[in-house]
Amino acid sequence: MKFEELKTTLIAAAKKAGITDYEIYYQRGSSLSAEALKDELNSFTSSADGGICFRCVIDGKQGYASSELLTKEAVEGLVEKARANAKVSQSEDEIILFAGSDSYAPLEAVRAQFPEAAELRRSTLELQKALYENSPLVGDGTQSGISYYEDEVYLFNSKGLDLSNRVCGGLRYADAVVRQGEEAESAFAFAEEQNKEDCFALPEKTVKTALSRLGAVTIPSGKYPVVIDGKVFKDFLSAFSPIFSAKNAQKGLSRLAGKEGEAIAASLVTIVDDPMREGSFAKTNFDGEGVATAKREVVKDGVLKTLLYDLSTAKKAGVESTGNGQKPSYSAPVSISPYQFSILPGEDPRDALFGLAKDGIFVTGCKGFHAGANAVTGDFSMESYGFLIRDGKQAEPIKSFTISGNIFELFKEIAALGDTVYWSMPSGFTAFGSPDLYLPLVSVAGD
Amino acid sequence: MISKQFAERLLGIAMSSGADFAELFCEVTESNAVSAIGSTIERANDTLISGIGVRAFLGTKTVFSSSSDLSEEGMLACAKAVAAAMGDPSTPQNVLLCERVFPNLHPTEKLTTDVDAKLRAELLLSACNAALSYDPAIKQVTGSIFGVDHKILVANTEGLYATDRKIRTRIGISALAANENDSQSGLAAPGSGCGLEFFDRVTPETVGREAARQAMVNLGATYCPAGRMTVAIENGFGGVIFHEACGHSLEASAVAIGASQMAGKLGQKIANEKVTAVDDGTIPGAWGSINIDDEGTPSQRNLLIEKGVLKSYLVDRLGSRRMGLPMTGSGRRQSYRYEATSRMTNTFIENGPDKNEDIIASIENGLYCKQMGGGSVDPLTGAFNFSVTEGYLVKNGKIAEAVRGATLIGTGAEILQNIDMVGQNLACAEGMCGAASGSIPTNVGQPLIRVSSITVGGR
Repeated sequence: MKFEELKTTLIAAAKKAGITDYEIYYQRGSSLSAEALKDELNSFTSSADGGICFRCVIDGKQGYASSELLTKEAVEGLVEKARANAKVSQSEDEIILFAGSDSYAPLEAVRAQFPEAAELRRSTLELQKALYENSPLVGDGTQSGISYYEDEVYLFNSKGLDLSNRVCGGLRYADAVVRQGEEAESAFAFAEEQNKEDCFALPEKTVKTALSRLGAVTIPSGKYPVVIDGKVFKDFLSAFSPIFSAKNAQKGLSRLAGKEGEAIAASLVTIVDDPMREGSFAKTNFDGEGVATAKREVVKDGVLKTLLYDLSTAKKAGVESTGNGQKPSYSAPVSISPYQFSILPGEDPRDALFGLAKDGIFVTGCKGFHAGANAVTGDFSMESYGFLIRDGKQAEPIKSFTISGNIFELFKEIAALGDTVYWSMPSGFTAFGSPDLYLPLVSVAGD
Repeated sequence: MISKQFAERLLGIAMSSGADFAELFCEVTESNAVSAIGSTIERANDTLISGIGVRAFLGTKTVFSSSSDLSEEGMLACAKAVAAAMGDPSTPQNVLLCERVFPNLHPTEKLTTDVDAKLRAELLLSACNAALSYDPAIKQVTGSIFGVDHKILVANTEGLYATDRKIRTRIGISALAANENDSQSGLAAPGSGCGLEFFDRVTPETVGREAARQAMVNLGATYCPAGRMTVAIENGFGGVIFHEACGHSLEASAVAIGASQMAGKLGQKIANEKVTAVDDGTIPGAWGSINIDDEGTPSQRNLLIEKGVLKSYLVDRLGSRRMGLPMTGSGRRQSYRYEATSRMTNTFIENGPDKNEDIIASIENGLYCKQMGGGSVDPLTGAFNFSVTEGYLVKNGKIAEAVRGATLIGTGAEILQNIDMVGQNLACAEGMCGAASGSIPTNVGQPLIRVSSITVGGR
């Protein structure tokens, strides 16, 4: 069934059930990707999927039900399931079905142009070949791939809201494995297909990074001056982004509760959330509740300007929704999350940050955020790798150490910011960006 | 889901351009969740996931296409996409399927999908209230109960046509303890490969109290010191150390392409001789158990390490082709959207020769990890990390004050040799494992063990 048909079916079923307040959210997507291993194409994948979610509000309580099975029977059945779920809810939060914002930022119309299968095979094999050609040390386990996707969302509700958005893009990744004697190291990097320069530079950059990790030594435990690569700190922003959620704040699960207007970071820190960031292919001008999105400063010169709100938390706090009530997938309930969320760059090139650290550590990788970072307490202890900084210059690689601290303290300890922002791969409409940052003293566990 | 005749037709099309093997995987998964904040039911939700994944092999080359469209045209389009990507499609091949029925080792009584959401909500509130009333310092509790009814159909050109049904139930309670200066959290999230009868064995109240107890311990704890230490890791979720330090590196997905530190080590001594480890998907009703894997291979008990010697890898169908080793019933996937690959089921270190009290008594200055959080690993280097969610210093052979914020890191090869004492209280605990084929339920487990030396991240 097409969306219009699904909509008609659900509207009729809701009417029959006597439900007057409801929302229909439909998402569908398709993708095409190829992967290479050794010197051949080992996998070719395509997908097409979609699902629909029905949310109703009965006596002030909401219920959700969703399905990928889009037969008439299954779709109609959602109405009764959602009604039963609404009956179970006891939440006192006011549920608001939104009639629409006054205006929405213009979105350029995009349509995915998936390459022909033969073309995708050819460019994937070229990418793989380029990885091997960069160094004789590149070996087994090296993989690369290119994928394209298109995603559409439709949002309709009984208050008259009727919105849609389509995003599409392409990504290529390289995972290079290098070996010297018994030692093996690897590096992963990605580039967006639309950025030809990045795509061209990807193989050399990835192999160079992997090679630079060979011969890593361990370091003694202690407190060190640390420069964190922006490519690593963007993952910190991602892991700790729940602290900016008004929902978490209102439920006592964020230490930023009640801190709007207060300094929460060093004065050089400004954090911006920009759903329409230039160059991103995951833009959206409305959120999962239909509220218009907008660029905003979340932290300005170290001061928390606003938390991120959806309709319900905004109502409770007596403010306007910031348009951050997102649906991570069609079936998921609305939850608060940022869009293109980044720390604005400073003025120092990386070398200048090394100069500030003088003798310290350059952290180029941290792993295990899902376990090692606690967004409620802010504590983190991360398995890390990187390089020594000696006399203000990048020196030999180091491994098997952790950096530990607390994100709320760390924000205040940032002493300098690099001049380039590094972005993560987008997930839905969300991506995180950060420049390099310099911290004068960080706890390190090593040998 | 799909008749035998239609499955034959789909596979015939998928084989029409030169593939030497084709399979299809069809799924209908009903799941439901209720969640609470404090002592209030926040939300109830029903989700139905359904779709098909068709895969073809030519040697070790694979083509895969998936679709949520289970109409005849949708499924035919999926099979045709596979054929077109493999080569130039010609006439569909003749495929003959024969239904195989596998015994159900994991009977269930009360499906969560058959039970009114109200009953699940009551169970959840019992857990939340038990956590809230544990101590006045418990300021917030969040929780959820999750039920899944996962029906699958697997058919392939070796003639297999089989179905399976996997039922799972899990509760998760997170408690926050706070005083004027600090807030700390605790988590308990047991689950089972059965229905709501799970709560006859594990009461919701026990789960709530356990989360609250952990939060209270952490509230009173100081930061864990950093450095190399001797560490004792408790049973249950402590088994995550083996899951990360070794399990992932034994998966054919990494071994077969040379991206694992364990490649080429079959028959070699890779661990201390006190270590015997097993992956067993046949344990009745266990969280990580399956009757057949997502490629239709019956699950089995795999002896991975015997007295320190590597005995087996975890091998899926593609891995079997790449490595020339038999399949081990390890082909798993989150849903039809993913290609199955080699994964763990219930993976644990067996009981050893040491008395638990001797293990603690042997540590002069170290760390006792009572509860562990999750972790991750790079199979290539074996470098892993995992977090300690409840830890205590050990001084002169006795458990002393609680410490928090610790992470353990190391490499698999080194740590397996350093497991120098293995106790006798084997128990497993439930987790979700994320990898290339998505997020799947797996059990980890072990008795109390001692690691003679490991890097503890703290401050």
